[in-house]
Amino acid sequence: MSHTHTHGNPGDTHHKAAPMVEEITDYEVLEIAVRELAIEHGLFTAEDHRKFTEWAESIGPAAGSRLVAKAWTDPAFKALALKDGLTACKEVGVDWAEPTGVGTPSDYMEFHLLEDTPTLHHVIVCTLCSCYPRPLLGMSPEWYRTTNYRRRLVRWPRQVLAEFGLIVPPEVEVRVEDSNQKCRFMVLPMRPEGTDNWTEKQLAEIVTRDCMIGVALPKPGRTADVHPIQKARRPVKSSAEEPANE
Amino acid sequence: MKKSKSPDASDALFEVGDKVRVRDMPYMFYTRSQLYTRGVVGTIAALTYKDLIPEEEAFNFDGRIEQYYIVRFRQKDLWPGYAFDNDTLQTECPHRWLEPATN
Repeated sequence: MSHTHTHGNPGDTHHKAAPMVEEITDYEVLEIAVRELAIEHGLFTAEDHRKFTEWAESIGPAAGSRLVAKAWTDPAFKALALKDGLTACKEVGVDWAEPTGVGTPSDYMEFHLLEDTPTLHHVIVCTLCSCYPRPLLGMSPEWYRTTNYRRRLVRWPRQVLAEFGLIVPPEVEVRVEDSNQKCRFMVLPMRPEGTDNWTEKQLAEIVTRDCMIGVALPKPGRTADVHPIQKARRPVKSSAEEPANE
Repeated sequence: MKKSKSPDASDALFEVGDKVRVRDMPYMFYTRSQLYTRGVVGTIAALTYKDLIPEEEAFNFDGRIEQYYIVRFRQKDLWPGYAFDNDTLQTECPHRWLEPATN
């Protein structure tokens, strides 16, 4: 390198913002090529593709929350959900066969609910990539698809859960479910104390996405998956700013 | 081509509670049987469905239909030095990736 880096020095004005680069992977190129071919050959239209993408991205975790709340309040429904998950999903308005008749791509018609007990805690992962119960929970969060979560959850589950703020007592069995084939899994957490006379709607509000992945537990007052962003203690000053006088 | 000794769908199915070992087989280009389970003994937790195996389906080859299982492993058996005796891990395997185990 011929020039010298002088980041942060007073009077350093040559440091320009990095150019915006559209990064694209080989697989994204492949997807675009196959999609364009399919459109050219009339398998579906560009409009179909846009509608399907927007439909898939619009699914959130609300149906999963309703399923858990109903299982907490209705023992017969809970028994059904544990025995025949697909039928139970229909009762909360989700048909895994939509929109194609055989399900969305890569969401097969195999769904299992994993019931937590006082001595057993479940957490889901897909070490291969990103298998996730999308018809019930929508798109997976970004962190669920990272190699960091995928490779460490199977080897260090308690430590990874602790990073989410969930400390599981040693006497409770932690069971990792690696969904690496066609079954899709979702956690049925335990109903927390202090919710005795709650309605299904109230209960559903505390069953957040993270509770159904197994990285958090439902509790009264916790109605969102908030991962706090810590402020940097010594933030990096951009070169345009004057160095702080201290 | 001579048939390999690997099992096929005609083999007797495993039952829930059976001890199985994940085979350490070679594969061409694609598999969904994770390396970290190879050679490890687990217990059949459930029989799930019958389907094509990933090694064939990935290339749109309509091969044989096989039984899939959910297999439960003790984390201590998967990872040396794992500190919690009771912790477990479950994953799915098609029939041909499993063989009977005694311990």
